[in-house]
Amino acid sequence: MAHHREVLSPPGKRVIMLGNVAIARGFLEAGLQFAAAYPGTPSTEIVEALSTASRVLGGKPYVEWSVNEKVALEAALGAAIAGARAIAAMKHVGLNVAADPFFSSAYLGVDGALVVVSADDPWMWSSQNEQDNRWYGLHAYVAVIEPTGPQDAKEAARLALTYSEKYKRPFILRTTTRIAHTRVPVDTGEIPLDKLEPRGEFHKDPARWTLVPQYARRKRLELLDYWDKIAEELASFPLNSIEGSGDVAVVGVGLGHRYAREAVRVLGAEDMVTLYKVATSVPFPRPLAEKILSHDTVLVVEEGDPVAETQLKAMAQEAGAKTRILGKRGEPLLPRYGELGLDKVVKALAKVTGKEAPKWALEPPESLDEKLPPRPPVLCPGCPYRGFFYALRRAVNKLRLKPVYSGDIGCYSLGVLPPFHVQDTIIEMGGSIGAGNGFAHVLRGDNDIAIAIIGDSTFFHSGITPLLNAVYNNAPLLVIVLDNHTTAMTGHQPHPGTGIRATGEPGRAMSIESVAREVGVEKILVADPFDVKDSEAKLLEALRYVKENKKPAVLVAKGACILVALRTAYRMGVKPVAYKVNLDKCTGCGICYTVFNCPAIHRRSDKKAEIDPALCTGCGVCAQICPFNAFEPVAEPNPEWFKIMRTAKPE
Amino acid sequence: MAGDVLNIVVTGIGGQGQITLARVIAEAALLNGVNAIVAETHGLSQRGGTVIVHVRLGNADAPLIPPGAADALLSMELIEAARYSYYLAEGSIAVVNDYLVPPPLPGVKIPEPSELVSMVKTRASKLVIVPATQEALERGDVRVANMILLGAAIEAGALKDYIDLEAAEKAIQNVLGKAAKPNIAALHRGAELARTKQ
Repeated sequence: MAHHREVLSPPGKRVIMLGNVAIARGFLEAGLQFAAAYPGTPSTEIVEALSTASRVLGGKPYVEWSVNEKVALEAALGAAIAGARAIAAMKHVGLNVAADPFFSSAYLGVDGALVVVSADDPWMWSSQNEQDNRWYGLHAYVAVIEPTGPQDAKEAARLALTYSEKYKRPFILRTTTRIAHTRVPVDTGEIPLDKLEPRGEFHKDPARWTLVPQYARRKRLELLDYWDKIAEELASFPLNSIEGSGDVAVVGVGLGHRYAREAVRVLGAEDMVTLYKVATSVPFPRPLAEKILSHDTVLVVEEGDPVAETQLKAMAQEAGAKTRILGKRGEPLLPRYGELGLDKVVKALAKVTGKEAPKWALEPPESLDEKLPPRPPVLCPGCPYRGFFYALRRAVNKLRLKPVYSGDIGCYSLGVLPPFHVQDTIIEMGGSIGAGNGFAHVLRGDNDIAIAIIGDSTFFHSGITPLLNAVYNNAPLLVIVLDNHTTAMTGHQPHPGTGIRATGEPGRAMSIESVAREVGVEKILVADPFDVKDSEAKLLEALRYVKENKKPAVLVAKGACILVALRTAYRMGVKPVAYKVNLDKCTGCGICYTVFNCPAIHRRSDKKAEIDPALCTGCGVCAQICPFNAFEPVAEPNPEWFKIMRTAKPE
Repeated sequence: MAGDVLNIVVTGIGGQGQITLARVIAEAALLNGVNAIVAETHGLSQRGGTVIVHVRLGNADAPLIPPGAADALLSMELIEAARYSYYLAEGSIAVVNDYLVPPPLPGVKIPEPSELVSMVKTRASKLVIVPATQEALERGDVRVANMILLGAAIEAGALKDYIDLEAAEKAIQNVLGKAAKPNIAALHRGAELARTKQ
């Protein structure tokens, strides 16, 4: 799945592509030379696909996984200042990390091209919030282009890079989940292979490339001039169009266009509606706004916050127009949270046009969730974190400590659920150690202890500076780094700890222990999370150290993501041996399916345990935690598998 | 819904191959010259959580199927079949794997399979249950269960005349490449299972 080879399909074909892969293709067709990203749902596959392209095309374009979004954007900006066509891709909250260079990029401009892809995640399928990053466009004076659905994601990406090159200014390409992760047929164009080589040239010009006050002030004025100009010229952006000539204006912005267009068809309202398709939401093109405001009634359909609607309302006020503009503000016709849906848009449009809506839009059937057991995402069967969390709870209880688990973003966030409860706070990437500093200094009870839990990729992303801070300010904090040798949640990208780069070449593998040592941590332990006894012993030692010495300590738990391990084993022809329950030994105590809680272990009606062979990965940790030795392998376990489980890395 | 769209909801648990199943449907549709839109679930939700993939064939613009408007439900698991049965329209078909995975939450009450089946039946006009996971385990590779379900769905008429076994076979070849062979065999086995069920 992680290869997306279709990104290099020959020109003139119709190929099914994920929206993100289509975006990668669009960039390649525009002559992309440089791409940098930190993985984050729903943006990851863009640079995954580009890394495949780079691998096949011999390093054209240059592609990297950066350590975080700030560095990705800075690297892309540097390349673009030196004349390259560059992109940096990130999830919406990644742009918060990268906000500092992003704002500066608007003032500086570029010599090549710079597109910042912001993949927003309405309804937070895989994120901590629902922010609409088009506000960043308004805030920083950076124009925003939105594909009007996955259907034209490729064209939107191609045009974004082309426009950036033309205006020598950064552009945002803003997508949402249903553009990024929707597969549609895409018509491929030519990839200009001769333009992809990552080669630039820097022209020294401090007045242009440095933001000291005397230059920055002039740039502020230039930026405002540019903003007025681009607000005129974006009206003719090729993906903007007007369909029909009815009285009611329906403004479909970005993905909103697809819902609006189908809603018009569902209602048979073609004669009543003029459909404005808008791919340039920021700044809302003034000439387009003038046409829209000539209607008496306007319905704005956009995913996220009312960003286009707010601009239209401001422009209506400035023009003294009496247009009734409907959407998400005032008395909202569309919900102000979550994703758009055809039912919601049909209902809103039916209200505006007086057309009769189908039953599924007027009275949508109710969700059945309340009648069924919930199924939140959980740690996979065989996940190294399960045994480690089990050991952590035992160690903390043994010492009668009152821990605060300062949590972070990654698979271990799932430790928030029962039975583990080892994520008391989850803030943002790197926040576990950062906030852990604060917890450590104010939680002063005899049994209090602050424990930060962070993953390997997140540690490299933004865990190192707060760890340095903990050493510098002597915070009595236990930092646990769960090292599964990959960025697991987003689909197994490599990171500096793996010694593998985005395009597969070897890089230098950075060890988390040596980083911790170099920033000055004095107590560093390494545990095997697949060995519950070892994990518990190391945890006891680390916890005692922090309590007795009032200093930070780091414990690294090293065990591969089981999904990567399974794939590696399959490739090597090693077959993991599943486990079964010896029902004569099982007493029905329930430790395995409650406290340990492996999804492959089910409770039988007589309370005894049983293993689902379709789910068991053969990790064997259940055999370590059962007090009655009731778990047995179905055949002689393969020692090779136990090795792979601990060491596997992404290909 | 306008008559020229086929809406298919594909559900199950993260890791059971819903995305591949949906990809094969889309690829097969394209081979038959039919437009396809497939909205997937990635990231956090993939970790053993509930998964829904929206597949729309024909003259569709929007990526998501509204509840109450799906023509077919293909589910890899019984609880998830029940959970998303409210997406089904009148006169729709459900094709469901006879496989129940209790959510690993301590103390949660797990409904009986018969309750789940009757929940699906209140929405679907036709229900076909196939032991896809069991069959796949017997074939030595649990990963082909999704293709068994697809074969059964085609045989049961859930994909109408948009996709036949021949197009699905070609699509599996295109999507899965080297791994196609056991999956194509599984597809036909699924069709056979559905035939004997009817």
